This record gives sequence, C-alpha cells and structure tokens, in this order.
Amino acid sequence: MGLRSWLGDRLPVSGQQFRELTNEPVPYHLKRWWFALGGTPAYLFIVQIFTGILLAFYYEASPTTAYESVEYITREVSFGWYIRSVHKWAATLMIVAVILHQIRVFFTGAYRKPREINWIVGMCLLFATLMTGFTGYSLVYEQLSFWGATVGANIADSLPFVGTFMKRMMLAGDAYNQSTLSRFFILHAAVLPVTIIMLLVVHISIIRLQGVTEFKFQDEEEGVQKTFNFFPDHLYTEILIGLVLMVVLSALATILPATLGPEANPLQTPEVIKPEWFFYVAFRWLKLFSGTAAILSMGFIVFVMFGWPFIDGWIRKNTRFKEASVWIGIFGVLVIVGLTLWEAIAKH
Amino acid sequence: MTLETKRIVIAALGGLFLLSLVFVQWMETARKAEEAGIRAPHVSVPASSRECVECHAEENPGIVAHWEGSTHAEKGVGCVECHTAELEEADSYLHHGEQIATVVTPLDCARCHDHEQAEFAQSHHAAAGNILASLDNFLAETVEGARLDFDPHSPTPGKAVDMVSGLASAYSGCQQCHGAKVAIEASDGGLITVDDLAPDSDGRPTDLDAVGRIARDENGKPLMYSGTWPNTGIGRLNLDGSRGSCTACHSRHDFSPRRARQPENCGKCHLGPDHPQKEIYEESKHGIAFRDLKDEMNLDAEEWILGVDYAAAPTCATCHMSGNIRNGGRITHDPGERISWTNRPPVSTVMDTDINHGIVTDTDPEVRRSLIHDTADQKRDRMKEVCSHCHTDGYVNSFYEQYDNLVILYNEKFAKPGLAIMSALVQNDLRTSTQFDEEIEWTWFYLWHHEGRRARHGASMMAPDYTHWHGMYEVAERFYMELIPQAREIIEHARETGLRSQGAAVEQVVDEILARPEHVWFEEGAEEAAARIREEMERRYGGTQRN
Repeated sequence: MGLRSWLGDRLPVSGQQFRELTNEPVPYHLKRWWFALGGTPAYLFIVQIFTGILLAFYYEASPTTAYESVEYITREVSFGWYIRSVHKWAATLMIVAVILHQIRVFFTGAYRKPREINWIVGMCLLFATLMTGFTGYSLVYEQLSFWGATVGANIADSLPFVGTFMKRMMLAGDAYNQSTLSRFFILHAAVLPVTIIMLLVVHISIIRLQGVTEFKFQDEEEGVQKTFNFFPDHLYTEILIGLVLMVVLSALATILPATLGPEANPLQTPEVIKPEWFFYVAFRWLKLFSGTAAILSMGFIVFVMFGWPFIDGWIRKNTRFKEASVWIGIFGVLVIVGLTLWEAIAKH
Repeated sequence: MTLETKRIVIAALGGLFLLSLVFVQWMETARKAEEAGIRAPHVSVPASSRECVECHAEENPGIVAHWEGSTHAEKGVGCVECHTAELEEADSYLHHGEQIATVVTPLDCARCHDHEQAEFAQSHHAAAGNILASLDNFLAETVEGARLDFDPHSPTPGKAVDMVSGLASAYSGCQQCHGAKVAIEASDGGLITVDDLAPDSDGRPTDLDAVGRIARDENGKPLMYSGTWPNTGIGRLNLDGSRGSCTACHSRHDFSPRRARQPENCGKCHLGPDHPQKEIYEESKHGIAFRDLKDEMNLDAEEWILGVDYAAAPTCATCHMSGNIRNGGRITHDPGERISWTNRPPVSTVMDTDINHGIVTDTDPEVRRSLIHDTADQKRDRMKEVCSHCHTDGYVNSFYEQYDNLVILYNEKFAKPGLAIMSALVQNDLRTSTQFDEEIEWTWFYLWHHEGRRARHGASMMAPDYTHWHGMYEVAERFYMELIPQAREIIEHARETGLRSQGAAVEQVVDEILARPEHVWFEEGAEEAAARIREEMERRYGGTQRN
C-alpha cells in the first residue's frame, strides 16, 4: 500500500481537490512585485513565532529576573544574540509591512464594497501587531521600555470612563508591580499571537471567498490572460520574497544587533522617555494636544480609520469628490510621516 | 520574470541565506573564544588611527598593546579620537597629517564622557592642584627644595651636573599625585602655563602673545617643560584651563575599569604617613574580605553595581564612587558625594557644602542654612545606601556614632587646643609666621597632619590599629610630650628675654587647656586611676605583673 493511498484512506481529499484548493488562479496584477507583498507580514509573523518560542525558553517574566534573563540570552546563550536580534528586526519589518500593506490597500481602493469587513479585520490586525510590539518591547525591562510602558498605562488612564480600568488591566494594578510583566508576557506570547492567527484565518478566508481584487493597468493589452497559477509561479515569488527577507533580517541582526540599555529603575525617571518608533506618531500627537482632547481626538481618528470604507462609500455616493480618499490618504500619510520624524528628531 | 529565472534567483538567495548563517556561526564561535580568553577581543582600528597604530606598534609597542586590550579599541575609538586638537590649542601640532596634542585633558575626554567629566570637575579630586598654594607645597618647594635652581656645591663623579632643580621634590613628589601646572617652554627662556594662555571655555588660548612665544622643535612640536610633564596628578592644571587628569585613575592606554575598581589604584596616592587610606583599608574587615574574595568580585562587569554584579566585598570605588542597587546603579565621579566629615584639615569639619561644593564654615545657624546646598547628613545617607547592602541600619548608625565620637574627641581634646596654642604663639610674636623654621611647628604638623589624620581615617574605615597605635596614641604622645613642653619652653624663653606679658598670655592659654577635666591628669597626676589599674592587673595576673 503506497503512502498516497494510505493517506487517501484517512484524509478524504483527492489529489484533484487538493490541487484546486491550492492552485486557485491568481490575478495577473500580482505579477507586479508591489502587489505580491501582502504575504510579507504573514511570513514575518511565522519568523516571530519561531524565534519567539526560542526566546521564551530562557525568558523569565518577573521584574527581578526579566532583565537578567534578556542579558543572559544576549550574552550567554549560544546564538541568543542572533535570535533576539532577528526577533527584534522581524518585529520592526512586520510593522512596516503591515502599514505598507494597509497603505497599498487604501490607495488602490481595495477596501470598497464588498470588502469592507476585510478592511476592518485588517485594521484589527494592524492594532494587534502594534500591541504585540508594545508588549514585546516592555518585556526587556530596560529603563526606556519600563518607562515607556508606564507612560503608555498613564495615557490609557486618561481615557474617559474606561481609562482607569484599562490601566489596571494593563499593569495588573494601579502601578507597575510584580504581576505586570507576566501579564505583558502572556499578552505578547499567547493572547495577541492567537488573536492575530484567528484574524489572519478570517482575513485570508474572506480573500479566498471574495477572490483577490483585480486591477487593470493602462499598459496591459486587451484580451491577454487575466490570471496565472498559484503553483508554482506565485509560490516561487513568495519564496523569493521570503528569502530576501531572511537575508535582510540576517544582515540587520549581525550588523545592527539588538542592544540592551540600563536596567529599569522605578525610582529614577530618565531624562528622555520615548516609545518604540511605531508609537512616535501617537506620542507626538499627545504632546501637541492636552490630556483628554488628545486622547479623544486620537480615538476619533482610529474610529475613522476603522469605518473608512463606509465613510468613503458615503462620500462617493453623495458628493462629487469621487477620489477624495486619495487626497485624504496622502494627507494622512504625510501627517504620520511628519509627526514620526518630528518625534524622532526632537530631544524631548 | 520566467519560472526558470525565479528558480535560479531562489537558489542564489537560498545560498546567500545559508552563507549568512555560516557567518553567524563564525561570529558565535569568535565570541565564545573571546569570552573563554582563547582569542583576543576584536579590535577595530579606525582609518584615522591606522598610521599611528602601525608606527607606534614599532616605536612603543606597549602603548599599542595596552590600547588593543581596551574597550576603546573594541568600540573603534582610536588614537586620534582622544589626541585630536584644534589648530588654535596651545600645545597642538601637526603629526603625520593629524593635528594632535600630547596631553589629553578632561576637556578632551568630555567629548564622549561629558557627564563623568562634569561630576569630576566639581569634586575635591579636581581641586587637588590647589596644593600649589598650600603648606605641603611650601614644604616641598622651600623646606625640602628651593624656589630657585642653584649651582651644585661639589662635583658628582660620572654625572655632569651644572644646575640643581630646586623644585625637584615638588615635581616628582607632591605634583605627581596632586597635579602639576603643565608648562611649555617659551622661546624667551621662560615657561608658559595656563595663567599666561588665559584660555576660553573651549580651552582655546585668548592671549595670542603667549601662544607666539611657545618654543617648538624642528617638527613644530611644542617643547613640554619636563618638570611638569609627564604628570598624571589628579588635579593637574592643564593648558586648556581644565583641571585634572582622567588617567590618574583610568591608566592610559587601556583605561581599564577593572583596575580603577581595585584599591591598589587609589593606593598610588592615598597611602603613607599622612593619609594611609590604602593601608587602613587593608587592615579593615573590608580589605581582608577583598583579598580573600577577589575572584568573586566580578571586576570585569560592565556596570559593576553592588548588589547586582557583586556583593563579596567593598573596595574604595564601591563605597565612594560606584553604583549600587539602592541608588539605582548611579556611579559618581565625585568621591566627596558620600563623605560626611573632612579629616584633611587640622580640625575636622562636617561636609555641609554650598552650591559650589565648598565647605560652609560659617558658625551662624541662619547663615549656614542659607548657604548649605548639600548637607553632611545627605552625604552620609548616600554612603549608608552602600553600607546597608551588608549591614543593618542599627549597625551602620552605631558605627557612625563611634566614628563621630572619635573625630570629636580628637577635635576637642587635641586639635582645637593645639591650634589655640599655635595661634597664641603667633599672636604674641613668640614664633615667626614662617612655617617649619621652629621645632614646635614640626611638632604640630606631625600631630595633625600625620598622626591626627591617621586616627581619624582609621576610625572612618574601621582600622583599630591605625585609630589607636598609629593614631590617637601618637597624637597624645606628641601633644603631652612635645607640643606642651615646647610651648612651655618658648614661654620660659620669652620670660628670660623680657617678653614677659607675651609669655604670660600664651601660658594662660596652655594652663587653661591643661586645667580642663580631660587634661587634668597630666599635671595634677592620676594616682587614683593608676592605682585602680594596678589593682586590676594584680587581680588578673598576680603581683609580679607591674608596669
């Protein structure tokens, strides 16, 4: 009895069905590299799971041991510095990739009917990714990550009605304490990754159900083939992108390995507190406006981001500004880049 | 891109990724080898210093070898980074295409270590060069040497000596610890120092006439005056106006933190008859523990924080400078930050300091309150943070009570009375204002400068033998057996030479002191106390033990 027939008896999927399942025709525009980057965040997520598991073998989530364990990983464990550096850089690239993917979807209008729900799922993925980055950075328990988490909790505290509750949920109490790090660790290593996996399943399922948005470019000739096979052509493209990413990650990890600042000291506030770069925009926004106004305005912006497919639909239907989203998008990107750069350059 | 091309690119990228993993493996192996001491740490020679390293590896291999073992070398900080100088700087010169200066000052180090330099600049260490105007320096420059170069009075067989340097003792002695006023030879035969150059806050001279008089060799290199250079005194008065020398503790060219953390490093200067802190430490339980547990001191740790990196024993650096878990690991380059008494002067004073880190000596409580910026108690609390790693609060507080009591006993029984007698002699013209030209001045100097300091330092760092036998015992002997008899002799001599009233005035001071309860035993006798002691000795050892 051959392996195929042994498997066929136990898995009721025929070879033909399997080929159909994995070889759905892919729209021709995915031959353009820019459009083949949707899988990048997912690929980096797999890298994060793999390196994260290795790091979790040694990490100890307690204020008395966290920093030491990270130091141990970095200095003592074989290849520890490399795995930690790859984890750090993959996190950075993953956030970049998610943001770029979201920008691409926005500017190509791929969120429009009937894909509004998938846009919202994508937004959830973006915020879950940002939260994973935030909790991961806090786990290092160096001065800046500790104070970054403290500031983050205080920002949450200033939210009306739910602020205090959210802060208590984040910190496991009114202030950073023995249980805070283990809470961050569970969020970072279990809750958020599982959330991301579930959201990804929904995201990809919707894509499969609706099919990838098809784009037509001006330089395409009429009557030519509209699709191509996923296997092997598109799979090769994805493998190629994956390998480029691995080479880039490896180079970044060796040339700019993850560093370790001074250990957190709850009694000594650093002169300058800055979060990770992906929160620069929010941090600068909070500095520009005072307290509750800043939080509420930010909440409003997030609300608009989530509901944009519906807002855009209303604009397109009821006004003559059919391409308003492009201009709003350009303005939004400029504001995000501007505020991020401002915060990066500013000393305080 | 065709499928075939994609396959080729994937194969190439796969190979590249594997190569990167091989590179990572190589890095890991190298790291482990460095950690195990099998291989020297990787040294990156910056391009600007490549020529220096190549040449000096031939000329002065020790310099390069030391540098190669330094953190500077690991971080890519080469020769030029520290020795670089602006064209305007007085001692700068062009050396193989680089404008450099031989003497690296705290201003140079501050280019990277500005925080450390700022702390150091406000410390007593940085002010150590003030000795140039002190009694100690009078000893070296006048009593031991001469404030002039003079002709030798007889030949030295085998050596052509045409001139005797009167300041040789000051240059090779005092100033090697306290710091010299670095000088460059002038074209007119004189010397040029910071006083002539009047540098601005960036260290650039403002007196261009002085710069113009700098004597240089045929390569344009300024001629450093050999009396004041080489010098690594901690309060060195540099040509750029900065004070100090980081290499006093962080020996060039390896700048080893490991060495700076060990008591031997401080022992270059903190030893000897007048301030034997090194020997005192060695006698103390702290020093004993360090000798025994040195291997557990983790001296190579990056931060070296007490309570994190080690706890086996304290060294000088531990208590006075290094970070500890209680103060958040904050290291200070001002060793005075945790010292609550100054035992340097004849009479110890508490370290209540003003905004400029000067000791507030005013006696009026209101004035003191308005001037004091950092109290002695605050300084003591900082020290207690260190103590509390190994000792309970009660233990530490009681120790400080013992220490305070010893200092106050010394102050009140010997120092203030001694000072009063010496002042009375001057006020009544019974001794000259010139120091060390009369026997009693030497006596008084030994009493407070050597023995008095030994007693106080001994108590401050838990060395019983230095507190008692090398300290208070000798203070007492010097006071009763030399200072008082010599004062009485001067009084007698005054009477004989017609200076009756002056003699009487000083005698009154001496008599009043000796009439105090703590001194009364000396002239009235202490038969009762002696009898009690004899009785106790006989009870313990029998009748044969008599002193």
